[in-house]
Amino acid sequence: MTTFFLPFAHALVARGDLPIPAWLFAWGASIVLIVSFFALSAAWRTPRFEEDHWRPLGAGLSRALLSLPVQILCGAIGIFLLGVSIYAGLKGTEAPDRNFALTFLFVTAWLGIPLFSVVFGDVFRPFNPWRAVGRAVGGAFTAFAGQRPAHLAYPEALGRWPAAIGLLAVVWLEVVYGASGGVAVGLAPHAAGLAALIYSLYTLAMMAIFGVEKWCQTGEVFSVYFGMFSELGSFGVKGGRLGRRRPLAAASHWATMPGSAAMVIASIATTSFDGAQEGAIKGAVEQTFDWLVDAGLGLTASLRLADTIFILLCFAGVALVYMIGVRGMATVGGAPPAKKLRMGFAHTLIPIAFAYLVAHYFSLFVFQEQAQFTYLLSDPLGTATTDLFGTASGGIDFKILSANAIWYVQVGALVIGHVVALTLAHDRATAYWGDYRQAARSQYWMLAVMVAFTCFGLYLLSAANG
Amino acid sequence: MKSNTTRVIAGIAVVVVAVLLLIVLKDDGKSASEESDSASNAPAKTDQTSGGNEKSQGKPAIPTIVIKNGKPVGGVAELTYNAGDQIRFKVDSDISEEIHVHGYDLMKDIEAGGSVSFDFPATIEGVFEAELEGRGEQIAELTVNP
Repeated sequence: MTTFFLPFAHALVARGDLPIPAWLFAWGASIVLIVSFFALSAAWRTPRFEEDHWRPLGAGLSRALLSLPVQILCGAIGIFLLGVSIYAGLKGTEAPDRNFALTFLFVTAWLGIPLFSVVFGDVFRPFNPWRAVGRAVGGAFTAFAGQRPAHLAYPEALGRWPAAIGLLAVVWLEVVYGASGGVAVGLAPHAAGLAALIYSLYTLAMMAIFGVEKWCQTGEVFSVYFGMFSELGSFGVKGGRLGRRRPLAAASHWATMPGSAAMVIASIATTSFDGAQEGAIKGAVEQTFDWLVDAGLGLTASLRLADTIFILLCFAGVALVYMIGVRGMATVGGAPPAKKLRMGFAHTLIPIAFAYLVAHYFSLFVFQEQAQFTYLLSDPLGTATTDLFGTASGGIDFKILSANAIWYVQVGALVIGHVVALTLAHDRATAYWGDYRQAARSQYWMLAVMVAFTCFGLYLLSAANG
Repeated sequence: MKSNTTRVIAGIAVVVVAVLLLIVLKDDGKSASEESDSASNAPAKTDQTSGGNEKSQGKPAIPTIVIKNGKPVGGVAELTYNAGDQIRFKVDSDISEEIHVHGYDLMKDIEAGGSVSFDFPATIEGVFEAELEGRGEQIAELTVNP
């Protein structure tokens, strides 16, 4: 059998994370276990997060922030940034680290918005460029035709499945499609610009067919994905009014349509894949790649196919673990039907998904944002001749984070995500099982699921670049 | 009910502990072998370049990466250092290229048939690539441990 060297090229990641050392892995896992057993014994008996305890913010503030001019301004900013990204991708340099498009789309927006969403609520919604275009077109249609545009009824059985599949596709494009293969943000700027353009056309078409808001709730990948994380935080909009709610409470009512579990599973699976292909499954991917090449496929095709197989395996694996938890819970006396359980506990994985995101991309985000606000801002096309804001000569200070700081953030994120996930799962169980003892028994299963995900996350960190 | 509970908890605990032991022991084994590697090569830290031609004159050997037809002989060289060490390596090439060490952002031109040496302090922790910039071919992976 021939062994080929994988075609490999750096993308944005100039400084890779070191694997967490064995002692930190052991500490992290021990804390997770201790916390988990504590959670079993000292838990509350009536649900606390089923009601959101809504407190509206000041009426004046609400009216100002949600006013039409502000909405138009936010939408215009969103459209402008998307336009700049597409233009930079198509017309700018092919050097990934010098082109505005890659860093803005895949780091600033893709990794930054989940962070902002958890803290400030669904910030993407007002800035969503496709929603803004859709609403403007819809408004113009209504004004000229004298009636609201008619839409096809969205097939409710599809639920959030289009967004879940879209999420897999976005990460596939980001990690697998790039000819360099197996690199976070490995695709060329031109491909990113073209993909953004195609996605825009697809989204606007779907909005025209099913309606803007309907598609944002079900099929628009970024709305559903960022919206999912915003449910963890305490800020939201209800009845046209800004307000605060109990943190985590909104998440309890997020998984209301089919495909919700698939969405959060896709999020965990794709982050796992990206982490695992740097170390844990690197050998297996290379083995598959060799087989495919021996079977007569071209190098790039083999690499993409091998990665595609493993990204799907990750999805299946994460789904399997969750389904075992659901099946297990269903065996406990007084359990609701498995279908209700499957949807009813989907939101408990959102904190895990968020923790994975922080653990795997925290350092990339911190490093790359320095580029975003220095040379990428002043020289978005990477021509080396433009200096819009006088920051083109800036660079990334990689010393800003020590290896230890990165490790603590990674392990801390996983442990906190684990605790929050357990909290949500326990709370939901107390709502589903009238009898407290049965509720507690059902949660051994979810506890096992959460411990599995968290320890797997720790394992991925310890095996990165291994 | 009570005994059932205990059994389930015990079961989970046993499985988790077993998995943890497996992983931790495995990692320990790996780091132990790395330590023995570095011990045998001390004080030059690990030099795992398969294409390296070592001059053992009492001085620490400087790893050499040989580029043939635009590719590193023996695959991507893995070089490991501790923060504060001096990173030294040499590149021999049969093509004219530019060598770029990422993160540290060092660039050096190399002529066909020529060689260049890198010598800089390991001030940034992490994993870094050195590559032939023109063809995007990685030639070395530098690991700097804290």
